[in-house]
Amino acid sequence: MTVLYLDTSSPYFYAAVYQDGKILGEKNEFLAKEMSSEALPKLKELLEEVKLLPDQVDRIMIVNGPGSFTGIRVGMTIAKVYAWALKKEILPVSALTAMALSTDQNLVLPIIDARRGFVYGALYQKGKVLLPDGHYQLDKFLMEAKQYGTYTIVSNDSFPSLKTIPYHPNYLKIIETFLEEKPITVHFVNPEYLKRTEAEEKKFNANY
Amino acid sequence: MKDVYILGIESSCDETSISIVKNGEEVLATVVSSQIEVHKNYGGVVPEIASREHIKNITFVLEECFKQANLTIEKIDAIAIAYGPGLIGSLLIGLEAAKTLAYLYQKPLIPVHHIAGHIYANNLVKPLTFPLLALVVSGGHTELIFMKDHFCFEKLGATLDDAVGECYDKVARVIGLPYPGGPEIDRLSKEGEAVYLLPHPLDDESYNFSFSGLKSAVINLNHQYEQKGKTINQADLAASFQKVVIETLVKKTKRAIEKTGCKQLIIAGGVSANQSLRKAMLQLGEEMKIEVSIPPLSFCTDNGAMIAAAGYFAYKLGKRADLYLNSKSQEELN
Repeated sequence: MTVLYLDTSSPYFYAAVYQDGKILGEKNEFLAKEMSSEALPKLKELLEEVKLLPDQVDRIMIVNGPGSFTGIRVGMTIAKVYAWALKKEILPVSALTAMALSTDQNLVLPIIDARRGFVYGALYQKGKVLLPDGHYQLDKFLMEAKQYGTYTIVSNDSFPSLKTIPYHPNYLKIIETFLEEKPITVHFVNPEYLKRTEAEEKKFNANY
Repeated sequence: MKDVYILGIESSCDETSISIVKNGEEVLATVVSSQIEVHKNYGGVVPEIASREHIKNITFVLEECFKQANLTIEKIDAIAIAYGPGLIGSLLIGLEAAKTLAYLYQKPLIPVHHIAGHIYANNLVKPLTFPLLALVVSGGHTELIFMKDHFCFEKLGATLDDAVGECYDKVARVIGLPYPGGPEIDRLSKEGEAVYLLPHPLDDESYNFSFSGLKSAVINLNHQYEQKGKTINQADLAASFQKVVIETLVKKTKRAIEKTGCKQLIIAGGVSANQSLRKAMLQLGEEMKIEVSIPPLSFCTDNGAMIAAAGYFAYKLGKRADLYLNSKSQEELN
């Protein structure tokens, strides 16, 4: 099976092409504000480097959040339209799961800065979920995680008070984890923001 | 001559719309997924919610459009995209979709300015006749544009503050009408008399507009009544407000017609759905003896067909974008 993996949920553009047990090529670039302009050209470059045509991909794995709302949507629009147009399989992957899978330690706590003292985070033990993907208040979240033992924090964001190790995707491991997973109908592959919009939040608070 | 099929994608605000147009004039399919019902709950468009809706809709709209047109993507000659101006998060969904299709099928990518789209919506009804004057009135724009030829845009004037549609929405909210306010005020004003005195804003020799003062005047008037414990007559207020808006638009448009000697007057943008404005502009056309073109209601609001129509002429003129094209929240028409 040939898999195209794409993650634009952070300031980094992460993409890889997998074929029959091997990573044929990958791209890891800091695009930040240039994501909307450059994500597609980078994807094109990657496929050209591994000498594949878009139609030779069987399955697209797309990171559907959490992370930058705009970033998530850039990659997901590309992935959804790609899968729809060329009738390819598509499967969403959590950014936090990808981060945990890429770290070898026993207890892994991937976190993404969600500002104002909040993070998107989860706690994994060897790929098993102990605390599910969520939008957490950082201090409370760390206290809760502590009960499970000593964890390693993975993050590409800066948390001055915390000891973190940087995230670099282990593409082979992430892709092989989801190789047997059933794909989803393209229309229903959508972002997982893990957070309501401010307008929805206000309305929700006003109602209850 | 070979027929040219353009796919037009529009997602500037709260409508995900995709169309296929033949030769810039014949609509083969047009699909609009409107989010009005969602944003109604908030009294206006919430940008982040709009973006979230666009990405949910995009492949549904694409699929429905190709089904209606009974065409395959291979048959399309070029992909036209409204790249700006608009809400950046919304624009990006259409942009990435357009770039992806252009890449996968190696089709030319045509960047179309949103306002150019509104003007070219008229080409779906009758051919544009140059020189022409376009009055663009919507929730985001109020502009008078002169065109000597295809894609030669000369801005004569524009609003210095609120767009006319924005002003309608805000006034509607103040007098307790639901969103979107334009159609509501238009409907209500027919039941009232323009008895309240409101200022004519920026009543000068320029071609610019200003609506924030008018908006404040309406809000203040309403407030004065509330303080006295009286209720203002909504219909009369709507009629008074609308009268000033239309008189202002007509007056400046008339002067622009006199100055430019244009042959055709085009009314474009969401507010051109306003019945009283349509009537006033058709009257002005008769008086000035020039042709007035107003797109049918379905093409007044944002839609992919207008982007495809403009895209056809841009395509003919050789306008192309590469895959690095980005969306622009603000962009001058040129």
